[in-house]
Amino acid sequence: MARIRDALIGALAIGALSAGTPAAAQQLTVWHDLGDTGIAWFQRMSDEFAKTKPGVTVRSLSFPTDQWFGRVIGAINTGSPPDLIFNNYERVIRIQAQTGKVMDLKPVLDRIADKGFLGEDDLRVATYDGKMIILPVQRVQMAMGVRQSWLDKTGETFPQTWEDVRRIAAKFRDSDPDGNGRADTFGMALQAAKPRDLIHMLDLFTFGSGLRNTLIDPQGNITIDRPEHAEVLEEFLKTYTSYRFLPPDTINHSFNEMYQVIDGGRAGIFRVGDWNVRRWDDPKTLNGDFVSGPWPSFRGRPNSVVIGGMRGVGIPDNSPNKALAVEFATFMLGKAAQQASLEVMGAAVRKDLEVGTLSPRSQWFAKAEHRLVAYDFPESVHTWYPELEAAFHRKLLEGITSPPADWKPFIAQTAAEMRAMAQRLRGG
Amino acid sequence: MTHALTDAWRHRVFYLFALPFAALTIVFGLWPIVLSVQVSMTQSATALRPDPVWVGFANYARVLADPLFVASLGRTLLYTVLAVAANLAFALAFATLLDSTVLRRFNMVFRLAVFLPVVTPDVAGFVVWRWLYDRSFGAVNAALAAVGVPPFGGIASPDTVMWAILVAEMWNHSGFYIVIFLANLAIRDKALEEAAAIDGASAWQRWRHVILPQLRPALVINGVYALIQFLKTFTVVVVMTKGGPSGSTNFVSYYAYQMFDQGRYGEATAMATILFAVVIVISVTAYRLGERGDHR
Amino acid sequence: MIRPVRLVWTVLAYATATLVSLIFLYPYWWMLIGAFRRTRDVLTDPLVLWPEQIEFSVFASIARVGGVELWRYAANSLAITVASTLLGVMVTALGAYALVRRPTLPGFGLLRGGFLLTIMYPYMLLVIPVYIVMYKLGLLGSYLGIVLFLALGPLQFFLFEQFFRSIPKEVIEAAIIDGASEWNVLTRVVMPMAKPVVATVALITFLLNWAQWFPILVISATPDTYTLPVALLSLNSELGSNFQGIMALAAITTLPPAILFVFAQKRVMEGMASGAVKG
Repeated sequence: MARIRDALIGALAIGALSAGTPAAAQQLTVWHDLGDTGIAWFQRMSDEFAKTKPGVTVRSLSFPTDQWFGRVIGAINTGSPPDLIFNNYERVIRIQAQTGKVMDLKPVLDRIADKGFLGEDDLRVATYDGKMIILPVQRVQMAMGVRQSWLDKTGETFPQTWEDVRRIAAKFRDSDPDGNGRADTFGMALQAAKPRDLIHMLDLFTFGSGLRNTLIDPQGNITIDRPEHAEVLEEFLKTYTSYRFLPPDTINHSFNEMYQVIDGGRAGIFRVGDWNVRRWDDPKTLNGDFVSGPWPSFRGRPNSVVIGGMRGVGIPDNSPNKALAVEFATFMLGKAAQQASLEVMGAAVRKDLEVGTLSPRSQWFAKAEHRLVAYDFPESVHTWYPELEAAFHRKLLEGITSPPADWKPFIAQTAAEMRAMAQRLRGG
Repeated sequence: MTHALTDAWRHRVFYLFALPFAALTIVFGLWPIVLSVQVSMTQSATALRPDPVWVGFANYARVLADPLFVASLGRTLLYTVLAVAANLAFALAFATLLDSTVLRRFNMVFRLAVFLPVVTPDVAGFVVWRWLYDRSFGAVNAALAAVGVPPFGGIASPDTVMWAILVAEMWNHSGFYIVIFLANLAIRDKALEEAAAIDGASAWQRWRHVILPQLRPALVINGVYALIQFLKTFTVVVVMTKGGPSGSTNFVSYYAYQMFDQGRYGEATAMATILFAVVIVISVTAYRLGERGDHR
Repeated sequence: MIRPVRLVWTVLAYATATLVSLIFLYPYWWMLIGAFRRTRDVLTDPLVLWPEQIEFSVFASIARVGGVELWRYAANSLAITVASTLLGVMVTALGAYALVRRPTLPGFGLLRGGFLLTIMYPYMLLVIPVYIVMYKLGLLGSYLGIVLFLALGPLQFFLFEQFFRSIPKEVIEAAIIDGASEWNVLTRVVMPMAKPVVATVALITFLLNWAQWFPILVISATPDTYTLPVALLSLNSELGSNFQGIMALAAITTLPPAILFVFAQKRVMEGMASGAVKG
């Protein structure tokens, strides 16, 4: 086959176009999905890294999240992967599940002395099927954000209970809180399009209100029809339907569309992650006009901000510059890289960082004085969880597109179906 | 045999002429098709290795047993029927209008307007349509609200999404069909209409019984093109709906691509092969029907 | 007596044609002004027909997309489109010429049949195995792979085939009797006659290949080889999308083929129609 190729190359004589630029021997490539902000962050780390490793540069490329999956899986399968990959833990799990070629970083972590800031929860989250597939670099905090000026306008304060949220969201929808004379505001902005979009929102409502599992517990029991879970789920589903708090095409919204609604200043209550703050501090979007706090409480249970896991760096088994990649991954846990992470991305894992230069809203996350609760990552216990979650998502979307008069039988029936499916998945 | 060989040798220069074309056709056309069939019979995880694990028709069995795929195939066929009918009907009507002697001035401007989307990169066009349809801040619903019509679900509702992308695709493709109808209209025998007019046929009767039968070639060509076009509907889904909402635009080509993106090469190529078979059967049938009509 | 009726019809016909044309053109206008309007303005007033302000700051925000400079995407678009057009025109012209001149040569019928089969295959799904082919040839992520794949197209082949069939046999036979070699027949007799069809095919191939995105996305290994439409599709990240930037990039992607089309409209429309009619 190589002969055919050579013949073609020769015959067509467009060698000038072929092959692109050869990679410099000392260039590391990272693939992520963090856009320009992520590229700026990696650029800063590259400059810092070069101080100890002269001549080494780190080039980062950003893909839209769904392209990132396909690219990484394809590249690993065809033996042309980047040196490092960076993403949320649960996304790296999918890479590992499809290719089985993500390097075990446990020995690397063992060689790092300065790692006291990583708790047991953090390390558990980074482990899948007995392998440590990422070094956790950013703790992902997710709070509820509310437009401050809208609260002022409606004479409310930050909502603590679910009843508060319902009252305030209705006011935000109906009383023209942006004062433009039009009924064009929404109480809330959430997402729903893909399984992780919708179930992730439910995760926040569930864990934020003090419950421990969204769909399934570590023993494999379906939890959604337990009374306290069923109540949260029912209110959650009503939020998407009869309460009319959301933009009407939320069902098609993934995070991009959700951000569009928030950026455009149309929604009053929304999820705010530590990585979102920088964007919404910008005068082009919300100009810092929002305040963050814990998710609403149900029935007086203590409410919290949710740690939605970790973003971290992984290394493909067939990474072209593996030794150097390991060095850079280790470097990402050092103080210089972590300070850059906090300043550029708004999140980090170290606790000894300088927070003075951050905006008040970023400082609120960095200081983390609020109650925090960690998401449980069922996929690290049940490897088939994504399949179950996809079925759960389909079922909930059916309910949202044609809402039943009474949600209780719907929830009971969904629980029964999920139980049957979990049984089957566990068996097979 | 010897004669054929000597003939071939005598005309060897033509093999040289055809060589690059043959090379590209084989390497980037026939080989991928063969490979696709081959990969569809291997286990996904080993598909790219030199020694893949052969699983026979297991991928086909799994794909055909997948209710999502069966639903996806049904949806693809339904959408194709709707889209072909809508596109051809609109294109035929608009081509007839443009061809009429009434529209003498600005005729080229109208043709330009409807053909421009054909040469517009489809990604760019659909990106705009996606925003036009947005329920909360799209121009479509703002315009409907301005004239007091209830809001259109657009790409947000499973009930309307197929119509919404159908309109966007009509914008993108119908100019092509219009131009073909116009080419056919231009070469028709106008004396027949004059004769019919003298016989007292109404405008509608002349169109229906004199003009339309002469448009059979364009109808067949457009029909086959549109069938192939809409059976593989893809870009509009990638840009506007990602298969949603609630899976209602998860057409086969998109579903297969998602499988491919997850490294499930076996299932992806099995789906591709099934759709290929459907395309061949349907377009050959359509072509035959058209041809047979011709000899009637 | 017949005039008033005719007048009504004329007005109705013009009204319909104008309305349809405006609907077809509206998305372009919306895209253009969207590039200049602030996201928040678009979200609150989607129907505005003139931007509140003309600011070019949006182009700074899309100067880099996904870590690669915008100019590189534009250069890729131009290079890939031009290279695949030139290659496609040459290869297809030669191939179609050979198949038309000597359709009965052993293998030629098979070649034509094979080509027809290829274009029946759902294009989007052909790209999946092409990924594997590119991998096996070591062409993944290369410009060469992209250009080679984009070179062939059905419309181009049918246009050439149709043209070569229309050349009277006597013209070629006369040249051969005069002692011209096949090569000379091609370069001295056929090619000069083929200039208009070559121009048409080149134009159409350019327009079609400029719009390509899926094969380029799949064959590319990194955004370094993306073209403008692929970059447009990649203009969002985990941190949100840039509406104004999307409209600006859509406009940049659309303008070159739109301008080319307006200048060569007749040739493009007639070429596409006759290519399709032949196929």
